[in-house]
Amino acid sequence: MYRKYGDRVRFLTVYIKEAHPTDEWQMDSNEKEQVCYPQPRSTAQRVAIANDFVKRFHYELPLAVDPIENPANALYAGWPERFYILDERGVVAYKGKPGPFGYHPEEVETWLASRFPARDSAASSGRNSLRLIQRNARIAALTSSSR
Amino acid sequence: MLKKILLVVLVLVLGGVAFVVARIGPRNVIGMLRYDQRQEGKLHPGDRAPDVTLVALDGQTPLTLASLVGDKPVVLVFGSFT
Repeated sequence: MYRKYGDRVRFLTVYIKEAHPTDEWQMDSNEKEQVCYPQPRSTAQRVAIANDFVKRFHYELPLAVDPIENPANALYAGWPERFYILDERGVVAYKGKPGPFGYHPEEVETWLASRFPARDSAASSGRNSLRLIQRNARIAALTSSSR
Repeated sequence: MLKKILLVVLVLVLGGVAFVVARIGPRNVIGMLRYDQRQEGKLHPGDRAPDVTLVALDGQTPLTLASLVGDKPVVLVFGSFT
């Protein structure tokens, strides 16, 4: 999606507070994949984890970090993951539901395809660039399957 | 008779709870009960997106959402590593 629409749309990943840190709601899948971090207590700690994330997944999207006071999360209720689309006027054009169950990148792509119909031939061609989506799928699978 | 019905209902409820716990996993049930912070939020489509100042990956450079708004739509992806 980023590769497909990145020349006409700005993408920004807002790195917010951890969803499943080791000192809160740790997930088995994170242990298996060695994604084990306590909840950051400072912006610097959160930035460090965000950098680990970018390096590990070679994450392509622009990314900025919510300061430790969580102002972005407070305003946008982004935890644990969520999509928004803002139009050119800065108005909320799309608001997704919170993940994992309400996290639907295909809804974002539908909006983009509607807004930019000319290149809407190869649906979801760039979906894999959103590594957060992959992680979210794993969480959803874990949650829905037996442990 | 009423006691039997209540007993059956109780067994069914407990069985349902046990099924859910076994399916999701006790750890996730506890985690969900203690740490689930999902919120609907106050923003709605049609609202002006509030500005907020973020920090770049260098840990220093500020980035405002307002600076991204203008000639293109903006897709915001909220999330974290874990």
